[in-house]
Amino acid sequence: MRNPIFPITRAMPVRVVSRAMAAGVLVASGLAGQILDPARLVHPGTDAWPMYNGDYSGRRFSTLAKVNASNIDSLSLAWVFRIGAGESGFSGAIKATPVLLDGILYFTIPDHVWAIDARDGREVWNYTWQSRGGIHIGNRGVAVSGNWLYFETPDCNLVSLNLKDGTERWHTPICDLDQFYFGSIAPLVIKNHVITGVSGDDLDIPGYIESHDPETGAVQWRWYTHPNTGDAEAKTWPNSDAMMHGGGMTWGPSTYDPELNLLYFGTGNPQPVIAGKARQGDNLYTESIVALNPDTGRMAWYFQSSPHDTHDWDAIEVPMLIDGTIGGRPRKLLAQASRNGYFFLLDRTDGKNLVTAKFAKANWSKGIDAKGQPIPDPAKMPQPNGALVSPNQGGAANWPPPSFSPLTGLFYINASDAWSIYYIYDDDEKPEGWAGNDRGGFSQTSLEAIDYRSGKIVWSHKWEGPGTRAGVLSTAGNLIFTGDAANNFVALNATSGEPLWHANLGSGVTNGPIAYELDGTQYVVAGAGDTLWGFSMVRKP
Amino acid sequence: MRQTVWLILGIGAVALACRAQTLPDAPGKAAYQRACGTCHAAEMVLGRAMNRDQWGAEVADMITKGAKIGDADFPVIVDYLARSFPPAPSPASGSGRGAGAGRGGGGGGLTMGPNDQQVVDPAAEARGRTVYIAECVTCHGSKARGSRDDAPDISRGPDLVRSLVVLHDRYGGAIGPFLAKGHPMQSGKSSASLAQPQILDLSHFLHAMVDETLRGGPYSQPVNVLTGDANAGQAFFNGVGRCGACHSPTGDLAHIAAKYDPVALQQKLVFPRTMSLGRGGRAAISKPVMVTVTPPSGARVTGILVHVDDFNVALRDESGTYRSWKRTPGLKLEKKDPYAAHVELLEVYTDKNIHDVLAYLETMK
Repeated sequence: MRNPIFPITRAMPVRVVSRAMAAGVLVASGLAGQILDPARLVHPGTDAWPMYNGDYSGRRFSTLAKVNASNIDSLSLAWVFRIGAGESGFSGAIKATPVLLDGILYFTIPDHVWAIDARDGREVWNYTWQSRGGIHIGNRGVAVSGNWLYFETPDCNLVSLNLKDGTERWHTPICDLDQFYFGSIAPLVIKNHVITGVSGDDLDIPGYIESHDPETGAVQWRWYTHPNTGDAEAKTWPNSDAMMHGGGMTWGPSTYDPELNLLYFGTGNPQPVIAGKARQGDNLYTESIVALNPDTGRMAWYFQSSPHDTHDWDAIEVPMLIDGTIGGRPRKLLAQASRNGYFFLLDRTDGKNLVTAKFAKANWSKGIDAKGQPIPDPAKMPQPNGALVSPNQGGAANWPPPSFSPLTGLFYINASDAWSIYYIYDDDEKPEGWAGNDRGGFSQTSLEAIDYRSGKIVWSHKWEGPGTRAGVLSTAGNLIFTGDAANNFVALNATSGEPLWHANLGSGVTNGPIAYELDGTQYVVAGAGDTLWGFSMVRKP
Repeated sequence: MRQTVWLILGIGAVALACRAQTLPDAPGKAAYQRACGTCHAAEMVLGRAMNRDQWGAEVADMITKGAKIGDADFPVIVDYLARSFPPAPSPASGSGRGAGAGRGGGGGGLTMGPNDQQVVDPAAEARGRTVYIAECVTCHGSKARGSRDDAPDISRGPDLVRSLVVLHDRYGGAIGPFLAKGHPMQSGKSSASLAQPQILDLSHFLHAMVDETLRGGPYSQPVNVLTGDANAGQAFFNGVGRCGACHSPTGDLAHIAAKYDPVALQQKLVFPRTMSLGRGGRAAISKPVMVTVTPPSGARVTGILVHVDDFNVALRDESGTYRSWKRTPGLKLEKKDPYAAHVELLEVYTDKNIHDVLAYLETMK
């Protein structure tokens, strides 16, 4: 069907339009030879971290064990790379997870890309995009395919650079800046598709996810995060106007199951954000976990984490793929610790809910329905005089990535018990945009280890201080790496949660840490504010 | 001729639209950069426009999201932002954009939208409002959000805040050609009869309506929080809430309602550690957490908690001396948060309790 805002038909292949530039590029890439072997994306070695989450599963588990619970005391600083050290003097937080390929780390902040040597942190090249605007709140990083790198810009472009020297190959629009869309996510490469998502919830615009041709950037398909008029799900909106302007941005990372050939991602808040009175109903497919066929853009299933949300609790947190065992039977599972305070476990073949359990304070639901979805309590929707709600707008969790260790069977996440007061500001019969917000608050963050099979919290390590937004890495060395609320990069025992090692980075960890091994040395890398820090066993054994 | 005027107007406006590219030098700049620059591009606030209360609420919000800003720096940073990025002037009519409106003025530290966005001229906006009321309001509504669902067919009109013609427009460049095609108006005339200056004015008015919808616009304040019952609030204060254990209406709370406006007071009551500006702009100082450290050998030391994590603890003792220890298994640490009772209440009181207690506090002028 067509959304009147965009002339592109949803879930229909779009004929690749061959532009002069694109044709030239095709020749160039053909000559370039050495193409990234797709097998390296499906089964990356320990010397690579070839995509945002390290692999398609989103587990952020490293099989490396050289650095482990018994020798972690020897982990020390190997190198430092400060992005603000250049002449431009710009600042900003590194929210990107670096991508590692052939000994080089590639990472971003909005409008900037760096390639640095993964062994010593020295710059190989950097690239700056001349921006036309858009929200510069963060950029999650790059995707790679063949000799090419892909990233999104705040002013709505997908840009392709040459991995070798950072020169631009092409750029192509992915959204309309005039409607206040912007780009922030790390794209995901699946076969001959570059998957892009969009951000922006200031005006009432529809969300969508797109697939682009890796060679030309041309759109292969676009899938809107709302139903087709006439679908049963369209009845979750009062009218098609509300549905076509209903939000549901796709600003979270995607995961992918090559066997099922399904792409998984979460969708963001409905619009208007806080005032829900002109969009009565569940508002599908906002705040949902969605499975699509990446070749066609056709939906296989959906599960809604927050029906009719009014708290900005985007369900874009990593839809993590776990191959686990339930009741003695091997199962293909999908787990999400959602911003709304609930942990969901689904069967990723069909989206059926297996577990719904709170992992943080959440006072907004009246219970769980037959589908496993929380039922919103109208009393805890924003009110003109204020409603005390947990979690707060920042959420029990947010975009910082969690981790799962197949060795411990535990799902690790920095979870916040948080409260704030939600107000309706615009009592108009047709509120638009936000029309309200939350204010103030209290927050206490803990690193939690959750049994994926039951959703039960096995252990919880309470951080001193109000909160941390750090991602998590687990390793075969029985270690968890993350950031605390006091600017420390911390390693903990993955089985017990005991803190073992730390380094004060002067700023809180702002991305998801990664691990890799080069020339027999294991490195652990984390971003904190404007600095990327590399740690390794520097001393000879 | 008309085209020439059009061009000149356009160029002038484009020049206006260029944003400052660097942070202004003013007292507090260093504190601002230190506190905010580790997470944000410091330039993020460029182009924003808010009053001191709004900047205060925003910075307080960032503290709850993890920004490390102490009591001393809070008013300094708020003052820097309020002085450097004050509200845009209101239109002559006085009924247009409020403080902080405009596409640069979003919430959450966000400078949003395209760099070449139209900068609304308040005088033109006021003239455009007159044209709009005379020719458009019946079908497109007072806020340009379209007709009501129950409007008769003859006066049904689409939402102009969501219109792509409006969002892609700059200074009438898209609205003008659309209206030139002819469109029925309230006066019975065709929109093709509108003069170029009227179209430019209409364009300013419509962009102002878009701006008002954005975060930081006039609809960014609670409307009325005084809905509670003061007697019920007093009963909760002395009963379940056990507020009297620490507070007294004639002691520390005397004249509390004169110090804070109702919204700030409600926030302060539920989240006392949230920094906020009182009436008259004075920053409220929150009480520190006290800590007692007993090292494996040596005397116990009590002081104001400066820092604690899983590995180290630091305090400032009674003499003002900074002291720190490594947290070893033998070291004992006791924290005393003066606001612990408020944290416990988060899971005790209902929204009605909060509104009632606020009504009770409002009696303490």
